[in-house]
Amino acid sequence: MPDIKTPTTRWTLNGQEVENTSGMTILEAASEHGVEIPCFCYHPGLSIAGNCRICMVESNRSPKPVISCSERIADGLEIETESEVAVDARNSVMEFQLINHPLDCPVCDKSGECVLQDHSYSHGPDRSRFIEDKNIRHTKELGPTISIWGNRCIVCTRCTRFCDEISGTSELCIVERGDRSVVDVFPGIPIDNQLAGNTVDICPVGALISHDFKFEARVWNMERKDSICGGCSRGCNIEVETLDGFVKRLMPRENQDVNDWWMCDEGRYGWRHLYSDDRVLEARGPSGPLDSSRSITAFIEILDNSPRVAFLIDPFLTCEELHLVHALAASSSDSLVGGWLPEQGAAAEFPAGFKISADKHPNRNGAEQVFGHQVFGEDASHLQRALDDGSIETIVAFCGGPDPDGPGQEWSAALVKASTRILFSVLEGNWLDGAALVFPATAPLEKEGTWVSEDDRLQRTRSCWKPGETPFPGELVLLQSLQSALGTRSRSLSAAGIFRELSEVCAPFAGHNHSDIGSSGLLLSDRPAGVGAGGGA
Amino acid sequence: MAVTLSFSPSTMKQYEWLLTRYPTRRAALLPTLRLAESEFGEIGVPEMRYVADLMEIPPAFVFGVVTFYTHYRRAGTGKYHIQVCSTLSCALRGSEDVVTRITERLGIVPGETTDCGLFSLSKVECLGSCDTAPMLQMNDDYHEDLSIDDVDQLIEQLRESAKGGSN
Repeated sequence: MPDIKTPTTRWTLNGQEVENTSGMTILEAASEHGVEIPCFCYHPGLSIAGNCRICMVESNRSPKPVISCSERIADGLEIETESEVAVDARNSVMEFQLINHPLDCPVCDKSGECVLQDHSYSHGPDRSRFIEDKNIRHTKELGPTISIWGNRCIVCTRCTRFCDEISGTSELCIVERGDRSVVDVFPGIPIDNQLAGNTVDICPVGALISHDFKFEARVWNMERKDSICGGCSRGCNIEVETLDGFVKRLMPRENQDVNDWWMCDEGRYGWRHLYSDDRVLEARGPSGPLDSSRSITAFIEILDNSPRVAFLIDPFLTCEELHLVHALAASSSDSLVGGWLPEQGAAAEFPAGFKISADKHPNRNGAEQVFGHQVFGEDASHLQRALDDGSIETIVAFCGGPDPDGPGQEWSAALVKASTRILFSVLEGNWLDGAALVFPATAPLEKEGTWVSEDDRLQRTRSCWKPGETPFPGELVLLQSLQSALGTRSRSLSAAGIFRELSEVCAPFAGHNHSDIGSSGLLLSDRPAGVGAGGGA
Repeated sequence: MAVTLSFSPSTMKQYEWLLTRYPTRRAALLPTLRLAESEFGEIGVPEMRYVADLMEIPPAFVFGVVTFYTHYRRAGTGKYHIQVCSTLSCALRGSEDVVTRITERLGIVPGETTDCGLFSLSKVECLGSCDTAPMLQMNDDYHEDLSIDDVDQLIEQLRESAKGGSN
């Protein structure tokens, strides 16, 4: 906030006079000037513990080195991070940390993204002087999703602080003392909270191991894409990590406006349906599978022979896909569009402010903006009535959710009343029986485009698929092919291109494009975050 | 074991008095655990749970505190708890020999209890008696300036008094 005069402190960092906002710690302030001080126990989202000592620096105000994670800057303070005293202190701490560490990096899941490994490389000794026996600490399950490999633990207490401060569940503690101390749970009370997976992310070593990711992949072989969790309408920022195009792990990505550094376990582990045996992977008609050109031809034939076409959209579709559906619906006269919503789940709010929404879908808000009205409210009831009175013969329905029941019992029963059904589905299910055409639908992690979260934040999600190796044409490609065949589109575009079209015709998106959404998204409206959540239905 | 633990009214009174002496409830944990130890005889999982619920603090925190200190009588400890100080001064003055001798005589290593349930052996951190190193604490008593003979004698004495006590 440049308009408010914030008090600043002048201090000296490695011989250079610098200025920072008063009250910052040395570690934070130094990082603003590009000086990275190593740390294990420090985490910007947690309270300061100061127990690992690796961040020690030399100070003109102390005869001994000080820990930069808790010491604050002050006028006239002179800090050396690379002096002999500082380097010595760091190297000694590193040697000490490694005394009982097993150095089992070749079999450790953290290897490659391990803070201990990195610091050992840059600050540690290349051999150990420790000739005594290393002590053994427990390896055991702490809960249904997490195990502790005690020998690797450096007792930084990040995980226990997380459970005390962020999830507020306090299941973890440090038991025993000195070199025997290690993370544990109270006997009979496992760590089983909705945010538990984050403790594994913030573990600076491989002590906490996620059962879901254990021995799944070496982290340096994986590719990472910035994406958005489609599990609920919060729109937590995530990183999707893939190996050969297959998702192996989801990690939260920092966004102070949405999810801080965290994500919930429901979102984190909720991707196995991508590789379910029940996935719909190719288009098919009543007589069997159709290749993509024949499926398009069949689709168009149906559209041409239908006096009235209705569309049932879902809140998983991206704004770009919805724009194409909108255009398709607009091109045929007398069409109807409604939307279905999955059943509400449980909402949750945690002491540190992290929220889980009851709306288990990512883009209700976006759909309402693209269509400009209550597509899940009034329009949906209108569509349902039209189906009930038999005035709709042809319907195109989408289900990008991981539910084999598609749009749910009620809508499935209503859909049957349309004699010709074109259905997009992620999973096989009874609701696909008797469909004129079935198309594979992309699941949230496979979509390329934008969603609007419950806070009206427009965010970009990216497909986990390897470019050029898509198992089937997603809705974005297929709907454009349809338009081309109908003669309403001259060339097919990427998601960014479709967004540009959308921004030209739809007021809430006007003036925006994919590149200015950035990595943390942008607010479509000025209303404060959290107010009017749920899209104002 | 669904035994419901509870402080007796007089212990509860002491507990309430304790709370008035500390700025926060959590700060009164150590003396409260002492009360629990004298009330229930030992500190095991049910006792820790009781104290946690009573004080409204997370059970895991109580677990961490109890295991940090060696001074609480943990569940399953033998009648005679021999705690050999093995911090610096005692270590330099031969605490390891004391431990080895006890292990030879009793057939248990630190952390174990004899099958008869009479003896438990622990290596503990500094007991604040460095001037009389090496030393050990047997239940509530200090035995200082130990020689190997002293250790033998102590064990004999304890065996005798156990016999005397049971007859």
